[in-house]
Amino acid sequence: MRPVILKVEGVSKRFGGLLALDDVSFEVRQNEIVGLIGPNGAGKTTLFNVVSGYCRPTAGRVTYEGRDVTGRRPYTLARMGVGRTFQVVKPFAGLSVLENVTIASLLRHPRRSRAERHAREVLEVTGLADRAHRPASGLTLAGRKRLEIAKALALEPRLLLLDEVVAGLNPTEADRTIELILRIRDQGMTILIVEHIMRVIMNISERVVVLNYGEKIAEGPPEEVARDPTVIEAYLGEVAA
Amino acid sequence: MLQLLPQAIVDGLLIGGIYITVALGFSLAFGVMHIIDFAVGEWIMLGAFLGYYLTQWTGADALVFLPVVFVVFLGVGYAIQPIIHRAISGRRGNPVLMGLVFTFGLMLAIRGLGLTVFGFYSHSLSSILSAKSVFLEKGGLFLTVPVIRLTGFVYALVIMAALYWILKKTDFGLAVRALSQNREAAGLMGINARRISSWVYGIHVGVSAMTGVIIGCIFTISAQMGGDYTILAFFVVVLAGMGYLAGVPWAAFLLGLVQSFFLIFGNPSYTMLAVFVILYIILLISPKGLFAKGV
Amino acid sequence: MGRKTMVGVAGLGLAFAVLPLVSQDTFVLRVATEALMWIGLAISWDVLGGYTGYLNFGHGAFFGLGAYTTAILMMKAGWPFWASLPAGGLVAGLGAVVAGIPTLRLKGAYFAIATWAMSRAVQQLALVLEVTGGPDGMRLPPFLNPQFFFYLMLALVAVLFVTLWFLLERSSFGLKVKAIREDEEGAMALGLKPTVIKVQSFVLSATPAGILGGVYAYWITFIDPASVLGDLVTDQSVVMAVFGGLGTLVGPLIGAILVFAFKTVFWAYLADFQVLYLIILGVMIAGSVVFLPDGVVGLVFRTARGAKGAPPERPAEEPAGREAVG
Repeated sequence: MRPVILKVEGVSKRFGGLLALDDVSFEVRQNEIVGLIGPNGAGKTTLFNVVSGYCRPTAGRVTYEGRDVTGRRPYTLARMGVGRTFQVVKPFAGLSVLENVTIASLLRHPRRSRAERHAREVLEVTGLADRAHRPASGLTLAGRKRLEIAKALALEPRLLLLDEVVAGLNPTEADRTIELILRIRDQGMTILIVEHIMRVIMNISERVVVLNYGEKIAEGPPEEVARDPTVIEAYLGEVAA
Repeated sequence: MLQLLPQAIVDGLLIGGIYITVALGFSLAFGVMHIIDFAVGEWIMLGAFLGYYLTQWTGADALVFLPVVFVVFLGVGYAIQPIIHRAISGRRGNPVLMGLVFTFGLMLAIRGLGLTVFGFYSHSLSSILSAKSVFLEKGGLFLTVPVIRLTGFVYALVIMAALYWILKKTDFGLAVRALSQNREAAGLMGINARRISSWVYGIHVGVSAMTGVIIGCIFTISAQMGGDYTILAFFVVVLAGMGYLAGVPWAAFLLGLVQSFFLIFGNPSYTMLAVFVILYIILLISPKGLFAKGV
Repeated sequence: MGRKTMVGVAGLGLAFAVLPLVSQDTFVLRVATEALMWIGLAISWDVLGGYTGYLNFGHGAFFGLGAYTTAILMMKAGWPFWASLPAGGLVAGLGAVVAGIPTLRLKGAYFAIATWAMSRAVQQLALVLEVTGGPDGMRLPPFLNPQFFFYLMLALVAVLFVTLWFLLERSSFGLKVKAIREDEEGAMALGLKPTVIKVQSFVLSATPAGILGGVYAYWITFIDPASVLGDLVTDQSVVMAVFGGLGTLVGPLIGAILVFAFKTVFWAYLADFQVLYLIILGVMIAGSVVFLPDGVVGLVFRTARGAKGAPPERPAEEPAGREAVG
């Protein structure tokens, strides 16, 4: 049994009157790709925010590599090996693509020259090397999503949280991103991925966790989850890609 | 010494009332337009001077001109807002910051204008009420309440009530509240953000100018007076929690009390210092304001 | 900063350096010394303002802190100038830490007015304390040597420029600072601690101002709350940086020279209309925001050099034009 990298136990999050997450529990094991799906507003991004330190849960615990990280700040988690992308991409718009990734590389390579070299390597891996000196704001959507991944990778994380990195891309771009994700996994990464596009999640995840209205309503291999009546009902009215 | 306590409290509350009016418009402008109006003190100054000149020219009571001053500056604010908007929506990445720099420049320009036109002299506005005081004596309790300050307090209550009524009971107020919560969504529901913002800023400037007249009746006015009031407005709003209107009265009263206590019991020159230290401590402990409800 | 710019700045430095050899006129030397001082003030303001995105409207307070510290140490404690000057910088730096910790946690907007209020509080302090001489100010022992002060100012500003260039454009610190400016939230996910970086930036901005204040005190031999703790130091620093171009080193440099030149000419011919100057300053700042968001530098160097010092464009939501797939 592979070790548990991420453990979410009984996590709830309340925003005033709204219960965004309700007693959610699941695990992610080493080198797994776990998909996190659910209709709009199900709480997926909130869960990401809790796991990555942007949001303190109202109840519950988050354990990373055996250590309790509940409520720790994002920079602490980054240092510990958690990397994430943002659904609404957050490039450093006024800086170049290379500078963007270099900043991330600084975490493990404090000297700027070394960090820059590392960043170039990451840009090669993610296919952005040809655009290294363009301003980040000048990239296409696909480029910017790719940049998000590159920045997270530059942190040399052991757990990668991908938030909607495929949504909005055309099929060719999407396929190339999927390729990249699988390559990353093949190098030993543990991945938790949120995605709206069903075929992506179902094809690359080993397991899928389904949220609805903040609660976990199903968990298991993709084929099982796809046949689960509660899941189907939750998605009635949603267009399943 | 202790017998001065009730006087100190009363003075503090009365002054606090005035701070409420200044701070409300300021907080409203921030909530709706997300700009911090560095020039708020200057609007007060301009309003005070307009009131002054109007009384000089007509010999009428200063308070009579309150509506006039309000309307004039409502127009000024309404007209200026689009320029502010233009400054904010430039290419640069940070609209709030750019708005700040802009209103900072505006403040400098207005103050310079004030100094040029009005000179360095201090003035006082006069009203029939200025000289009168109400004396209360009851079983060892001595209170002197200048009627003009009481008037200022009543004025503050009226403004608060009016703003409350506008915000909660009119369509316009609904639009304002919607806009301050979620600009995009409000736009999608057909609310004309530009026009509403113009009105809000106009109201803010108009009310501030009116308060200037009142202040002129109680204290002296000068072209340089703006700075302190901007800081006071800021103090009140930060204390209350930025954008949290309900906290403004409490914070304003607190500030007024601190000020009057220093005036009566301590050394007045240390007042601003003390106020600042209090603000500093509060920011250190609770960055979202006393009520932890700031943005 | 491109090669051409570096050459230009070096040339400017050289021009300044040979000035005393070319002109014996002490007036010219005095003007040049003051110009250098403003360059230093504008650039140091920009460290926090343009590079980090936090507008310090109390920059003058650090200048005053340095001035008063130097004056007090020299006059009341008998310290030599060479010891008092760094102490002035130190006090200013410490002041930044003390002021920064509660205020930098907030969003940039509150920080701006908080610093403004803070500077007025410092001015108030100087007015009431005995050790500062209150409203009458302090006199320092006269040391009439224009060449000395000119070269001192030149050396300090040159060292400042080079140091900042290295720290902000060449080292990892500069990248971190810019990341904070662009997106604090996103920067946290990359392991950056915003408050720490902001405080460091604040100290980096305040200390030079304090040192320049100390030099000013000894040079002019008289300081009082109005001259070194008033609004004018801050106001001018801000105008110079904004007008020149935020987020660059050359911007405030050019802005300082232009605005100072304008001020000198203005004062020479329109000394009766001093208050007019305030209006002009205000209009310049407000106008810069609307018409010159990248400052003069942005106008001149409009050949889009991509990211170097250029202002951030708002990311477009739709891909513009052709794309490279992936």
